[in-house]
Amino acid sequence: MKNRKRSVDFLWLGLLAFLALLPLIPGLLRSSFTQHVAIQILLYASMAQAWNILGGYCGQVSFGHSVFFGIGAYGAGMAVVKYGMIPWPGAFIGAVLAAAVAVVISYPCFKLKGHYFAIATFAIVEIFNRLFMVWYWVGGALGLDYSFTDQGWTHFVWYESKRGYYFGVLLLFLLVFGVVRWIERNRLGFYLRAVREGQETAESLGVNSAKVKLMAMALSAFLAALCGAFFAQYNYRVDPPMVMSLDMSMKFVLITILGGLGTFYGPLLGAALLIPLQEYSRAFLGGIGGGVDLIIFGLLIIIVVVYQPRGIMGIIDGIRVKAKRSKEGGE
Amino acid sequence: MKQRFFGKGLLLVLVSLLMVAALVGTSVADEKVIKIGTLFPLTGPVALAGQRCRAAVETAAEVINNAHPELQVPLAAQEGLLDGYKIVLIHADHQGKPDVAKSEAERLFDQEKVWAIVGSYNSAATKPASFVAELKKQIFMCGCSSSGALTERNFKYFFRMAPTDKTESIEFVHYIEWINETKNAGVKTVGLIYENTEFGKHAAEEGRMAAEAKGFKVVADVAFNPGATNLNSEVQTLKAANPDAVFGACLGGDYTLWVRTMKQMDWLPKVALNYCTGYQDPIIAGQLGEDANYFMGGTGYAPEFAELMPAVAAVEEIYKAKTDPSVPFDSDSIQEAVALFVLAQAIEKAGSLDPTTVAETLHANEWESPLSMGGKVAFAPGGQNIKAMSMLTQLQGGEYKRVFPVDLADTEPVIPMVPWSKR
Amino acid sequence: MGTFFQVALDGLFNGLLYAVVAAGLSLIWGVMDVINFAHGEFLMIAMYLSYWLGFIWKIDPLLSSLAGGLFVFLVGALTYKLIISHTIGKSAMSALLATFGLSMLLKNVCLNRFSPNFRLLQGTFLGGKTYNFGGLIVPVPQLAIGLVALLLLTLLYALVKRTRLGWAIQATAMDKEAAELMGINTEKIYLLVFGLGGACVGIAGGLLPSYLAVHPEVGGLFSLIAFVCVAMGGFGSIPGALLASLLIGLVEAFAGFYIAPVFKYVAVFGLYLVVVMVRPRGLFGW
Repeated sequence: MKNRKRSVDFLWLGLLAFLALLPLIPGLLRSSFTQHVAIQILLYASMAQAWNILGGYCGQVSFGHSVFFGIGAYGAGMAVVKYGMIPWPGAFIGAVLAAAVAVVISYPCFKLKGHYFAIATFAIVEIFNRLFMVWYWVGGALGLDYSFTDQGWTHFVWYESKRGYYFGVLLLFLLVFGVVRWIERNRLGFYLRAVREGQETAESLGVNSAKVKLMAMALSAFLAALCGAFFAQYNYRVDPPMVMSLDMSMKFVLITILGGLGTFYGPLLGAALLIPLQEYSRAFLGGIGGGVDLIIFGLLIIIVVVYQPRGIMGIIDGIRVKAKRSKEGGE
Repeated sequence: MKQRFFGKGLLLVLVSLLMVAALVGTSVADEKVIKIGTLFPLTGPVALAGQRCRAAVETAAEVINNAHPELQVPLAAQEGLLDGYKIVLIHADHQGKPDVAKSEAERLFDQEKVWAIVGSYNSAATKPASFVAELKKQIFMCGCSSSGALTERNFKYFFRMAPTDKTESIEFVHYIEWINETKNAGVKTVGLIYENTEFGKHAAEEGRMAAEAKGFKVVADVAFNPGATNLNSEVQTLKAANPDAVFGACLGGDYTLWVRTMKQMDWLPKVALNYCTGYQDPIIAGQLGEDANYFMGGTGYAPEFAELMPAVAAVEEIYKAKTDPSVPFDSDSIQEAVALFVLAQAIEKAGSLDPTTVAETLHANEWESPLSMGGKVAFAPGGQNIKAMSMLTQLQGGEYKRVFPVDLADTEPVIPMVPWSKR
Repeated sequence: MGTFFQVALDGLFNGLLYAVVAAGLSLIWGVMDVINFAHGEFLMIAMYLSYWLGFIWKIDPLLSSLAGGLFVFLVGALTYKLIISHTIGKSAMSALLATFGLSMLLKNVCLNRFSPNFRLLQGTFLGGKTYNFGGLIVPVPQLAIGLVALLLLTLLYALVKRTRLGWAIQATAMDKEAAELMGINTEKIYLLVFGLGGACVGIAGGLLPSYLAVHPEVGGLFSLIAFVCVAMGGFGSIPGALLASLLIGLVEAFAGFYIAPVFKYVAVFGLYLVVVMVRPRGLFGW
């Protein structure tokens, strides 16, 4: 099934080198908007990859990830706005809390199947959203607004240039994708896939499917929360509709499915397609007002899902298979 | 191994291409123009208000750029600014989302090279967007976002035209005291109903503070989530507490639902006072018909104010041509036009396009503003328009009648509201 | 005490409205295991249709609701043909995501065509009327929607349980391949089911403009509540959906009045979680 040889993965290293050097290439990333798009791509790719651990590799389609994302965002936001600290401990506490919340709410939810599980996760998002809206200790409906602080890595805010954010999100990307890469080649990865292919079979092979699912959930929530903390630092504001909404949850799912569910590069491909489309169509068409950008966006989602349910990775695989056939004439 | 490598290579090329394609920017050479960005919610739940605001800014730009000697508005007679500079508007949509507002504000400044932004309707979106402007030391003109917190940040480049919800709340309480004294209205208790958003929550907090400061008791505090399918529990809660006066902050569709539900439940307070919300929208008032009558609210402009604000009607014609001929200005959108007019006057007076100079000029002077009630605009530190006024109006026979303050009033208020059964 | 009954009554009426919105969804889900995310937008389309008929030709929503049902039947059938039929047999989530795209599309096409204005019909036959039974206020529009809901649900139930078509639908729901072997054209059944599901929500939507303002975002919360009703009622069970909807309406009203209005949906969604914890396949699920 998999080439187990620990060969040096040129694609992965090449990609990282490309991303790390991107800001240094003159002409590219010069304007702050293109930097913004690049940051968004990497952020959403990381979010989707975090979701992919549970949704793709383990087959549990959760629409509740905006809750964990939001808890992470609130962790950073509370540290900075409420306690005047640097965001790092807040982000870490937020991520740990998110993982804990994820385990607590998923333990009972995992016995639900199919749409019952999906709708339960919808319900959880709505509940958290509404509770945070009236929880005045964390700002409630008014949200948390950042005030001016020193720039730089300690405070994790930059005002003039986005370069700091770019490298920040690149580190996040490296962490999330690195973790998934490690999982893919580790025992956990095989357990996850085994659970996805069939819980009964997995159990008969001695895999504790409940434990595996909870581990995937906790890890996925932890990483999603770190992405949330970045999101808060980047936007200088947190409020419940920004982070804990069904819209946000759908983004986790859409990007992954568009790119390719349960594949390593899928989330990045999905984000690299969807985010520029979203940002540029809004930039060029949003000002007209009539929602043309969103019409195109909706149409694209339909077309991709209907005609290539395996996403961009599916298209690439198709091409690869064809190339293989023409080169070797069958196996 | 070979075909594997081929596949992976293809993948790498694709990813790189997508990234590169995404990152190629464009820039536009500038002529003798002043680019002003508009940033409003053109889609999403409050798209209606956002689209009207955009049309109001367009109207102001049209008046400033072209010679309109017939209009009694500063800068109308001449063409453009600073000897031939024209205003070019760049529109953007923030969909009602703060994160989008922030990134669109950055795009407007960095990519479109706008010189200032007018926006952004939702207080929650105005906050991060104006934060960006302040960082870049660029001017942000805010028409109608009403959250008081916006002008309590001591920003130097932020200016807001509309009265805050704090001003409105104090006016509501004044009015109640006045009717208690002169009309023996006997209002003792106050109820609050508001959408649970940055705007609604802030308005309700100010309302509570203003009411309690004058010894009124707040007996009901009803928050609801906007976009409701029904407001039965909300109205039932109000009805059970039975406050004498209600301060309402319900937007658009929620406002109609609120009024209709109160009618169904056959309940009304003695006085219903609304922040700048669905009440002010002439279309909504029209659709509610008779049911909208006797409600009251703070109003910055209504077509019935013609004698107070004679210059507006002619400008309004241009505005109507841009939206819907049947839709006049409303209190929110007119403030966005004021924002651009005041900014243009400041540029002209400063004689410079240096944002800092213009911001200082804005602070240092008092501006003529025939489109504002009271006719003047002047800014306190932090950017609040201290001349901002709003009148209390009451809908009577489908018209916004001016009832308070007394010296500007043209009609006696109907107190208490006529009960549903007697209409 | 009067308030208690009033709150209960309001809750029941809302529950009946949710039931008729949820019924179509339940049928679709039961037969083809598809969640139609654009269900709320189907409601919105019917509301717009009814509004425009009322606005231009002064047709009362009572009549327009039939037109709404017919129109959304066609929209549903078309949706099936163009989108859903391509996702049958693929991953369970693909239909959900495709209809999410559809909901985005419909919402923004309506925004584009009809502007974001809030639209409410004036002077309809039902609008604003109430009956007063010894202090208990019965709003006529809600009463009408409640009666229509009961009628529609009964018809739908009878159709599924008592007619040859219904048996074919049930057979298809149980085992598609076996049904095909028996000579049932499952493709046609799916098309019809999707259309019928649309028709139910279309009729409900047609009645609404006499008290609820139409705008492009009106469907959002209805969709969510309908999902919860259907899942709580149990896989494709119409009586289950009815019971769940009534429960949800009541919980919404009581939580809204006796706890606080901001918590009403916390209670509704919380109720769903509690129910499925106890019965993982919903109240009437099998």
